[in-house]
Amino acid sequence: MIRKLLIANRGEIVSRIIRTCREMGIATVAVCSEADRESPYVRQADENVLIGPANPLRSYLNIAALIEAARETGADAVHPGYGFLSERGAFAEAVERAGLAWVGPDAKLLRAISSKCYCRQVADEVGVPVVPGTLAPATDEREIVAYGRRFGYPLFLKPDKGGGGKGIEVIESEAQVPEVFKRAASISQMAFGFPACYIERVVSKPRHIEVQFLADRQGNCVCLGERECSIQRRHQKVVEEAPSTIVTAEDRQEIFEHTRNFVLKLGYNGAGTIEGLRSQDGDYYFMEINARLQVEHPVTEFTTGIDIVKHQIRIAAGEPLALLQSDIRSRGSSIEARIYAEDPVTFLPSPGVIRRALLPEASRHLRIDHALEDNCVVPPYYDPLLAKVISWDATRSAAIGHLVAALSHIRIEGVKTNIATSLHILNHPRFAQGSFDTGFVQECLDETSNAELTSGGKTRWVS
Amino acid sequence: METNVTAIMPGLTARVVVNEGDKVSKGQEVAVINCMKTEIKVLSEHEGVVKKILVKEWDELQVGDPMVVLDV
Repeated sequence: MIRKLLIANRGEIVSRIIRTCREMGIATVAVCSEADRESPYVRQADENVLIGPANPLRSYLNIAALIEAARETGADAVHPGYGFLSERGAFAEAVERAGLAWVGPDAKLLRAISSKCYCRQVADEVGVPVVPGTLAPATDEREIVAYGRRFGYPLFLKPDKGGGGKGIEVIESEAQVPEVFKRAASISQMAFGFPACYIERVVSKPRHIEVQFLADRQGNCVCLGERECSIQRRHQKVVEEAPSTIVTAEDRQEIFEHTRNFVLKLGYNGAGTIEGLRSQDGDYYFMEINARLQVEHPVTEFTTGIDIVKHQIRIAAGEPLALLQSDIRSRGSSIEARIYAEDPVTFLPSPGVIRRALLPEASRHLRIDHALEDNCVVPPYYDPLLAKVISWDATRSAAIGHLVAALSHIRIEGVKTNIATSLHILNHPRFAQGSFDTGFVQECLDETSNAELTSGGKTRWVS
Repeated sequence: METNVTAIMPGLTARVVVNEGDKVSKGQEVAVINCMKTEIKVLSEHEGVVKKILVKEWDELQVGDPMVVLDV
């Protein structure tokens, strides 16, 4: 039984987790850096602790300060949210050692799956197709050259311990192999502390399809549905939806079965997501596993009516899943638009002070996850995500309609936001038809004049 | 004469890509700033030699903070 939960994160996800804790009768502890002292999420918690200066290395990434905050407040569990230390084995281990419940898969599992190649090998063992490439890191240039002669170029070199699209290098031809191999190893060493990189082939015009699952410590696993996250810019998701327009009932059955086999083989416990790619030919490939609550989890909550955070907390308390696969019913269509503090054309970040934030009311068709208020600060040190606007209706076109209406009414003044870009995407005929891939946002921007996004009637921000 | 290469955005120092004593040309990448998880290149506005590096990874930056000293 968990009585008091410390949330080791900042911003909207803290508000989101507090909401579920209130319903469950669990007390909450928020933590903040000096840059976030006045942020509304801090006041929403029952207690709060200042854990360090603005620099995330000394606050939200400071394991000792977080454990001390939990001790000081008598918290008996820690929820890491997403980003920061959420998938860090060392943090999970420190939490476990302090005798607290860790809301997530245990430290041993987090350490194992931090190797992409380990995950690819386990997936392969249970018959889950992985993105074509090597199952183990490339040990020398000759191996890459031989691979390239067999399968052609371009090829990706990806860090074994990487994530978030960071450190991925492209090899365009055999002549580039020595140079790129050296560079990839050194970047990987610098960014992740390990030089190992493996080879992946390019999947042309892919769609990003992921499966949300819940798994308990008793060996049960249910899939809550897929999410389509192909609307991305620079590997960052912008618009996500459930269900996907392209996944058929047969596909779904197959990717759910693959997910369950893989998750059970890993011995995973908690909520998680299997990220995959769907090729133009309709083949699905495992890409990576995200061992945390994801930003886009609300679309799955909207279509299934299941509170994922509640199940995370119950699993962390050692309870068995109270759900069977046959209990999961997905209804209607849900779409999320992420509001980022960034220039809608250049994607350059836009930190500052939000002088005014006017957001629509939540309803049965609309959910808004945020931690904004008038005169709140958007520091330059953290993620640019300001808010998530999520719509639902029985049909996809009605859900798009609610989301467009909501985004059109939002006023955020003081920092630039990507709202105009998201409206442009949502109003695009190809989005309505569901005929897009991960290159869509860039194509969409290329055909639009910058003026339309920055000075037209659609503009909702003041710089 | 000395001149500073300064931060063009606030955030954190991601890395400095030159070493003391290196020759840099105008427009060359000198450092990278991490502003809200976006990497922003800082280019030298002058030709010169790197005299001193003032920042390291994770250092906080405000716009205009000196990052690298150049002898021009």
